[in-house]
Amino acid sequence: MQIARAKSEIEQLAAGGMGVELVIEGAQPFALVGGVGAPVPPWDRADYDILVAIPVAYDLGTPLDGFYISLPYRYENGEHNRVNGQAVSIRQRQWRAVSWHYPDGNEFRRGVDNIESHIVHCRGFFLARGAVNAKN
Amino acid sequence: MQRINLRISASAWQRLRKHCARSFRGQRDTEYGVIGVLGKRTVGGEIRELVVADILWPQPGDVLAKPRSALTFSSRYVRRAHLAIRKDGLTGLITFHTHPLADEEVGFSWYDDEQDPLLIENLQELWPGTLLSSVVLGERAQCGRIWRSPAEQIALGTLVGVGERVQHLPLDGRPPDPPPAPSEIFDRALALTGQGALATLGSYTVAVVGASGTGSLICELLARAGCRSILVIDHDVVKVINLNRILYSTSEDAWLRRPKAEVLKRGIENLGLGCSVVPIVGSILDENVMRRLNEAEMVFGCVDKDYPRMLLCKYAYQHLIPYIDVGAEIGGDDEGIVSTDARVNYVAAGRWCLRCTGLVDARRLAFESLTTIERARKIALGYSDDLLLEQPAVMDLNMRAASAGMMLLRHLLQPFLLEPVPVTLAENLVTYSMKPVPSARCQDEKCDICRVNPQAGFGDCGEPIGLSAEVAAELHAEGD
Repeated sequence: MQIARAKSEIEQLAAGGMGVELVIEGAQPFALVGGVGAPVPPWDRADYDILVAIPVAYDLGTPLDGFYISLPYRYENGEHNRVNGQAVSIRQRQWRAVSWHYPDGNEFRRGVDNIESHIVHCRGFFLARGAVNAKN
Repeated sequence: MQRINLRISASAWQRLRKHCARSFRGQRDTEYGVIGVLGKRTVGGEIRELVVADILWPQPGDVLAKPRSALTFSSRYVRRAHLAIRKDGLTGLITFHTHPLADEEVGFSWYDDEQDPLLIENLQELWPGTLLSSVVLGERAQCGRIWRSPAEQIALGTLVGVGERVQHLPLDGRPPDPPPAPSEIFDRALALTGQGALATLGSYTVAVVGASGTGSLICELLARAGCRSILVIDHDVVKVINLNRILYSTSEDAWLRRPKAEVLKRGIENLGLGCSVVPIVGSILDENVMRRLNEAEMVFGCVDKDYPRMLLCKYAYQHLIPYIDVGAEIGGDDEGIVSTDARVNYVAAGRWCLRCTGLVDARRLAFESLTTIERARKIALGYSDDLLLEQPAVMDLNMRAASAGMMLLRHLLQPFLLEPVPVTLAENLVTYSMKPVPSARCQDEKCDICRVNPQAGFGDCGEPIGLSAEVAAELHAEGD
């Protein structure tokens, strides 16, 4: 039963033209999303790849939370305060975690939200919108 | 050879009996019947139980019945059932019909003996390997059989209805035999668990998932209640920190790092109560270990993680197995301890799952189902501190939970508690209060585990539950 639903959702998104694929690193599944748009400036590139960690219990209705941004990146010629932690190597590329969480009262909703809506939520990070805490 | 049982949700059985009750009123001259579709539970490739996955309630014209004449299911009705079987990969079809004049005894008629082989022949022509089961209902008895081929029929054993209670009805067409006289060991418990319920418990294999503090107590209580077969599942070994709570564990066990499940086998079997324990040293997250639950008629969950709890819930609905989850929680704030809860939840067909109950937290479930490396990254970011709190491991408190869980099991077999059993039964020792929680805090009428589970009753015909051994090894496993 492992991540059958996630796999199916990603296949549907890919079939619909989104640059997304399921990658497994060790036993950990990720949705690798390519070409997530960002305004230049303040970002140094017009698009980034992101990685969304998918819990293996996703089929049981677990929420998604946060994502990783591909390195290198520059934001206003420096660091973004929501890009945290050490650089990690996944799929032979360097990534850093982005603390882009759902605000209280507007959490990831079981049965309503999914990988697609989470990717939309992640796009909000680059556009500085979509979450109450976006400007914090 | 062990008889094959028939498992059905209590609500489906009640509705079926109600639907057919007209047969036993008035002139008692008209047969009623329905068709259902079957999942299965297998052990070692052999069918151990058939599970009624769904009853396809008849539409006008589906059942052709006249007074003083045998009932016929229309070919359209049979085809509908057959398509459902093929679409969902189920194992076969089951027919129920009444014999209006039968009361305490009922059996198949010559007409049934003539028609069933023809039906199974037709079904297997369309879809080789399809099984046919048929059950004939008297007013107070039922008789069942399975057809593997037109020439091979096997009598069914017992009908097990799972819901607010666990009901056992013989499928031999006769009233239940008087239960065997119990061993004098259990004499003093007969007031609570009578001979019939005791015989049922004695015939059960009960799976206990988690062999630490609470799990070891449950095993002990089961053995002393008359259970003769326990399946203990735990991946872990005894460590020094466990010695305050695992029954029968010794410092030597900790030194030698003996598996908890094997320590329990030694302890329980040495009691000399005739209870045998099969230890399974593995994680319940592993689908191969999860499949071993097919050997059991009831499951106790004694784990402190949400992921195994949710998998056990999924199993309970897919296999129509009663699942009792027991645990203990100590709550505190800046002022000190505010609650010490011993808790029991009963999960079964028609009841809420632990996610809807609010016991399983979605965020915790997500965290637990990341691999060790990914979880470490989350921890490093500092957003998971609340998820890292150790559950209490106080034997006195575990005993309260284990005791309540065992009382609930006794109730399911021979009711004595107020019904319906609350969603959660929690005892707060700080306030000296027993709190029955009557409603599910996070109930979701569209819950795909407990409300609209597309694979409820599918048993092994549904998707495998759990993870590959390699992935399971990457995650937290059970244990308290």
